[in-house]
Amino acid sequence: MAQDMTLLWGSGSPPCWRVMIALEEKNLQGYNQKLLSFEKLEHKSQEVIDINPRGQLPSFKHGDVIVNESYAACFYLESQFKSQGNKLIPDSPAEQALMYQRMFEGLTFYEKLNAVIYYNWFVPEGERHDSALNRNREALVTELKLWEGYLQKLGSGSHLAGPSFSLVDVTVFPTVATLFRFGLSAEKYPKLGEYYALLKERPSVKASWPPHWLENRKGQDTLKDM
Amino acid sequence: MAKDMTLLWGSGSPPCWRVMIALEEKNLQGYNQKLLSFEKMEHKSKEVMEMNPRGQLPAFKHGDRVLNESYAACMYLESQFKSQGNKLIPDCPAEQALMYQRMFEGLTFNEKMASVIYYNWKVPEGERHDSAVKRNREALSAEVKLWEGYLEKRSGCFLAGKNFSLADVVVYPSICYLFRFGLCEERYPKMAAYYNCLKDRPSIKATWPPTWLENPQGQDLLKDI
Repeated sequence: MAQDMTLLWGSGSPPCWRVMIALEEKNLQGYNQKLLSFEKLEHKSQEVIDINPRGQLPSFKHGDVIVNESYAACFYLESQFKSQGNKLIPDSPAEQALMYQRMFEGLTFYEKLNAVIYYNWFVPEGERHDSALNRNREALVTELKLWEGYLQKLGSGSHLAGPSFSLVDVTVFPTVATLFRFGLSAEKYPKLGEYYALLKERPSVKASWPPHWLENRKGQDTLKDM
Repeated sequence: MAKDMTLLWGSGSPPCWRVMIALEEKNLQGYNQKLLSFEKMEHKSKEVMEMNPRGQLPAFKHGDRVLNESYAACMYLESQFKSQGNKLIPDCPAEQALMYQRMFEGLTFNEKMASVIYYNWKVPEGERHDSAVKRNREALSAEVKLWEGYLEKRSGCFLAGKNFSLADVVVYPSICYLFRFGLCEERYPKMAAYYNCLKDRPSIKATWPPTWLENPQGQDLLKDI
């Protein structure tokens, strides 16, 4: 069970956070875990490479089974532990379809966010252009409006695929939380703000909240003018 | 069933091809479909925008359920039609885990390929750099070698487990795309064997990109990768 599981993770990394939320939701607390530092390049250490040749976090093992891709780990956990903890894939075909659709749009959402907040991390100095960063910012605004619209259609208090919490919330909430950490305005994006406020209180989310966000309440303001 | 399904697609696009393979595997032939042209910008037409506000292909509907993301459509189809056609998710936990792992690595694979093949399409002229092109090519080369290694460990034609699975549905089209753009079969024998082995699978033959049949000669952008 959880004792046979090991997670190597970094604080604030949405992919790591997704797996941690899934583990909590499936009542798999007590897994072995180690917090590593991206700044110290610990994701490139031998310990990580032994589990994940890509030198990336999360790195996740269940016995001999290795599942490093965060979405893969989430699907695997729901499938293997279907009968314990919370049900994360709805039975209703329509809700299920919406869940899958939004989960994969969630990858686009995450990429567009990273293209803004981590622009300098991904793009070497000599290749950076204001025009590119501006374009990335505009693309993120377009994406934000899309998700604001999705939440608007579903109504207050809803999760991303309907009334119940599901895998799409596991995978997309960390992206939404990161947006607000980086200064997104809840006045400009009230539906996203409501969704964030709702899920912040969920036990699995509280239990796995990034530790350095607790130590440092103040985030950044990269996104405040979006 | 298939009659309630509609697919708008483009020839050769791996995301579109994935959904078509999944539909065949689940015995859902007879779906409504329309072939559109990326070159003529038909993916930005009103017809597509109505199904997919992102103006992208594939655009897929089952009744009023919209599943435009190719992985979403594939997973939905396997889930809804589990008891018909071929089983695409193995029961064995270890095989299932490997399937999921490779499926999602497949997204990275596709991105690295796109960053080379579509560099000029995605990056405006004033922002292009030889250093970026070089880095993208090196990253693709490393990625291809990784998959060559994965295939070396397999016996038989499948990425995970003993049977054709969702991992093959989603990754095979990208591998075909690499060879279409000139990847060298001699340099990557395991990948070439995988590519050639699955070419004759019925779902793949039935959905082979029509523009590739009309024009058997591809490009050579990747011949030195």
